[in-house]
Amino acid sequence: MSQASAADSSDSIEGTSSPAPEHRRRTTAEAMATKQRDISVSEFFAKNRHLLGFDNPRKALLTTVKEAVDNSLDACEEAGIIPEIWVHIETTGTNRFKVAVQDNGPGIVKKQIPLIFGKLLYGSKFHRLRMSRGQQGIGISAAGMYGMLTTGKPVLIVSKTAPRKPTHYFELQIDTKRNHPEIINGKGEGEDIHPGEKGLKYIAERGIAWVGHYPAPMRPVNAASASRSPEQAGGHTADAATGNAASSGTKGAEASNAGAASGAGPSTGSAVSGGGATGGAVIGGAAGTGDSTAAETPEGMRVGDELRSGTRVTIELEGRYIRGRGSVDEYLEQTAIANPHVTIHYRDPEGQEITYTRATTKLPPEPTEIKPHPYGVELGRLVTMLKDTSAGSISSFLTDSFSRVTSAVAKSVCEAANISVRANPKRIGRQEADALYQAIQNTRISPPATDCLVAIGEELILKGLHQVVPGEFYCAATRPPSVYRGNPFLIEVGLAYGGASQAQKVSLETLTEMLSESDSRTLRQFLVTTFDGIGGQAADRIMEESKMATRQSPGKLAKADIQRLHAAMRNVNLSEGQSMQVLRYANRVPLQFQPAACAITQSVIQTNWRAYGLTQSRGQLPSGPVTLMVHMASVWVPFTSESKEAVASYPEITKELRLGLQAVGRKLAMYLNRRNRVRQEGERRSIFLRYLGEVAQAVGRIRDMDNPSREAIYERLLNVAKRKTSEADARFDDRGKRLSEDGDDFGDNVLIVGE
Amino acid sequence: MAKKKEPAKPAADPSKLKVQDHKTLDALRSLAQEVLDYAERGRAPHIEVPSRSLSNVRFNQSRKIIEMGSGTNRRELFNLAQAKSYMQTLLVSSGCKQLIEQGKTTSIRGMFYLLKHTIEGTREETFETQDECDPIIEDVEVMLDALREELHLYAQKRGEMVGRITIVDKGDEIDCSRMGSGGYGIPSIVEPDIIQFKKCEADFILHVEKDTVWQRFNEDRFWEKNRCILTHGSGQPPRGVRRLLNRLHHELNLPIYCLLDNDPWGYYIYSVIKQGSINLAYESRRMAIPGAKFLGLRSNDFERCQLTPSVQIKLNEQDIKRAKQIAQYPWFASKKAWQKEIDMMLKNGFKLEVESLISKDISYVTETYVPERLEEGVFLD
Repeated sequence: MSQASAADSSDSIEGTSSPAPEHRRRTTAEAMATKQRDISVSEFFAKNRHLLGFDNPRKALLTTVKEAVDNSLDACEEAGIIPEIWVHIETTGTNRFKVAVQDNGPGIVKKQIPLIFGKLLYGSKFHRLRMSRGQQGIGISAAGMYGMLTTGKPVLIVSKTAPRKPTHYFELQIDTKRNHPEIINGKGEGEDIHPGEKGLKYIAERGIAWVGHYPAPMRPVNAASASRSPEQAGGHTADAATGNAASSGTKGAEASNAGAASGAGPSTGSAVSGGGATGGAVIGGAAGTGDSTAAETPEGMRVGDELRSGTRVTIELEGRYIRGRGSVDEYLEQTAIANPHVTIHYRDPEGQEITYTRATTKLPPEPTEIKPHPYGVELGRLVTMLKDTSAGSISSFLTDSFSRVTSAVAKSVCEAANISVRANPKRIGRQEADALYQAIQNTRISPPATDCLVAIGEELILKGLHQVVPGEFYCAATRPPSVYRGNPFLIEVGLAYGGASQAQKVSLETLTEMLSESDSRTLRQFLVTTFDGIGGQAADRIMEESKMATRQSPGKLAKADIQRLHAAMRNVNLSEGQSMQVLRYANRVPLQFQPAACAITQSVIQTNWRAYGLTQSRGQLPSGPVTLMVHMASVWVPFTSESKEAVASYPEITKELRLGLQAVGRKLAMYLNRRNRVRQEGERRSIFLRYLGEVAQAVGRIRDMDNPSREAIYERLLNVAKRKTSEADARFDDRGKRLSEDGDDFGDNVLIVGE
Repeated sequence: MAKKKEPAKPAADPSKLKVQDHKTLDALRSLAQEVLDYAERGRAPHIEVPSRSLSNVRFNQSRKIIEMGSGTNRRELFNLAQAKSYMQTLLVSSGCKQLIEQGKTTSIRGMFYLLKHTIEGTREETFETQDECDPIIEDVEVMLDALREELHLYAQKRGEMVGRITIVDKGDEIDCSRMGSGGYGIPSIVEPDIIQFKKCEADFILHVEKDTVWQRFNEDRFWEKNRCILTHGSGQPPRGVRRLLNRLHHELNLPIYCLLDNDPWGYYIYSVIKQGSINLAYESRRMAIPGAKFLGLRSNDFERCQLTPSVQIKLNEQDIKRAKQIAQYPWFASKKAWQKEIDMMLKNGFKLEVESLISKDISYVTETYVPERLEEGVFLD
């Protein structure tokens, strides 16, 4: 409309001589009215799938996994169950995948299943102010809808709430026009499956996918989890059994042996499930006997035990599976870092199994729900709340609906707004509401309670990072809670230094596959986009080392070329040109996209890392073998868009981010200084050693000594050199005091590996 | 550690070693013994090297020579900055020991090659260039209080002599008035056991700065007409030339006149001949000639000889800086004539080379300039 009127006015100015064009009505209000109708939410999102993260096939696959896993984790934690998640992705055709995510959560009651999975904007999380991964209640149903739109296949749900209760099985489709679920199986009612052995047998016969038993600790198949040796994996299970996180490795190994033995006794249960769930039902025998040494799953269940409850959702969709940055693999890896209490069993489309084993069996405390803080409420919301409230007076409305509002505060707000304390909230007019809103903003109200936030905790951040990111130095900092716009939040930062880049661990086979999967136009682009930590500089050096043409297409490499590239990736020192890897999290959910728009990345760039011993160009991420994880926990994370990819930058958030980054930066600087000192000492020693031989020979010649005596002088001088360099090191300490070996005060929660 | 097996070289017959050699060997042995003692006690070894810098020299007013002070620099093995020079010092010492025992002498360049090798297990050379080796040799000289020839070392021969003198060099009689156009090359070591003076008919010595000027004087048979000895030292005279001048001056009582460029470098050459050098202050007693006189060129020669402006060479910043530095040296500071001379050069803003006199006439310097100055008898002291 505004454009049209602008055109009109310009016409009238220019066309002074010609008569104004006659307006011919194209349509009438009545005619238009026939086309005006309701838009269903589902229809809206079906057309605007990018808003939910389904903009391209690759991202669709990720978003589907992500929404399902996030929901599973939320459900498990809410129910107080230590989460065990299965993610199975299966190729069913070209660019078609069947994604199945199963958890050991509380399950869903029969009545709710169709609504949760088959209706958009239906959920438990939207209306409350509580820290959780999901917020809007769109995710999983949107994923189901996307799958249905692209493949026409229904969403399959298996859910079980208790061991003795029936398992529910649904096949759902979404009626996009009515935003309503349609149940296909069981004559529109779904199916109930008997609990126990009989049910499992039926599940197997029907070919319904369901992991019925906890698997034994698995030997990692893929290089990505190669950091965990079988002993360690055993150790974890043993930890779980005793609830003692500090169980020794040998003890763990014994326990896992015992566990395997007991599992193998009456049936083949543990052996079968240990070999990797085959996707279908795994029928195990009776659970292991009550042997106390048997390996147990965290929930108190032994290996091979039947799942007491849980939910599995299977969605078939059109997608693309590409490894590297922004992939499902990356998401799961990052999830494992921020959720050290979770075990994830992942089978990728190629059938490789990866298990991220939990580092702790302690569930994070349950976040409490809070009432909104008055500062965070917008005028429109305030008006709605006034209408909906059941309170009889403004005073009780304010005190009941908001946190931190006492009757004294309510009174001063009312006075400032010039409204009677006893006024009926339902009769508050628009202007009065405006005055009330202004009064709230101008009244001093104490910040919201922050006990509703659950931090991962410095200790667990270290565990999580160490579990997944190889490195030599780890540190973490959890900031005290703070408030933005009335919403409490807290920032946590973890840092891992050292270790090889992902690019250097990749196997030749995987690289070959990645090259064939890649849709990058040039090899250089492939390197930069696929591997974290490889910047343009490092990519250039790899290209130079492997003698590849810069514009070489990644898909058309000969076998010898790939081998050369692989060798180059291993040999080139990436730690120099490697840029810092930033893992962003909001409420323990990894944020994988739009790094540039995110307040976290911006804060990292704005921090002066040069002061902490890293190199950094202006406006760039610092370089060096550093992985940084930044977690923002809040009852309401301010995302820049619905697809939840970037945190908006409020000044309060930016400030906390800065402080958190500085805290880990200082620890890193300390470590790097110490490492430099060690290196300098080494260099100094090597210079002395270089000349000692010559000195010994010269002295020997002057004194006409034989070779053995010359050796003896050399040895003596060597001893002096060794003592001298360690003394010198102590003397040259930058604080001017003699420090003992481990005298550096790193503070709490620092992990140094391999010293 | 270098485990290179050294072929056992037969040491020279000890009876053939001179008394001086025994003394030097003892000094070398005690140097090595010190290292052994330190290692034995588990202490870090170091050597005290007498300091060869301006701060450690003083001008002996009564003897009119530069003498070395007692200041030393400590050279430590376990000090990053000194480790390599420490190692090199011991290498040079071991090299000298080898030379003395075998009764041979070598040039300092030869010494450099004798000791140069790759340090085992590294790509580093013991000495990269001769410039690294030469100062270490000088260090060893001062450290052991031994002369270069006592270490069986000599420098490259530089500087020539002609004139009315007959000498004996290692038993060969040499008549310096019959040296043709080349002259007698002054060897590096001119001690009395090598060179003896047999017959001298000269009345004085004229020392000129460079070969070109010397050639002019030789061609004009200046030494014949003026009954003198003519020497040059190719710029800063090497030790052989200075020692020979010193002996001629003291043993034969010949006055020495220097014909040098009128620039800071010429002044300093004169200074070295007269008082000794800062770097080799420990040698001053053998080398300095406090009686040496500066004949020319003088700052007023441009006007006095009516030279054309084209022979002027403009002073650059470095020249000015150096001139001021030289004026500050204690042995120049107290001499008014010299202060005036340097001042005048700075005021002129140009320097003059001896060769500039050729612009008057090819033989102006030999036939007019020098005879006139000698006639006048006015020299800078």
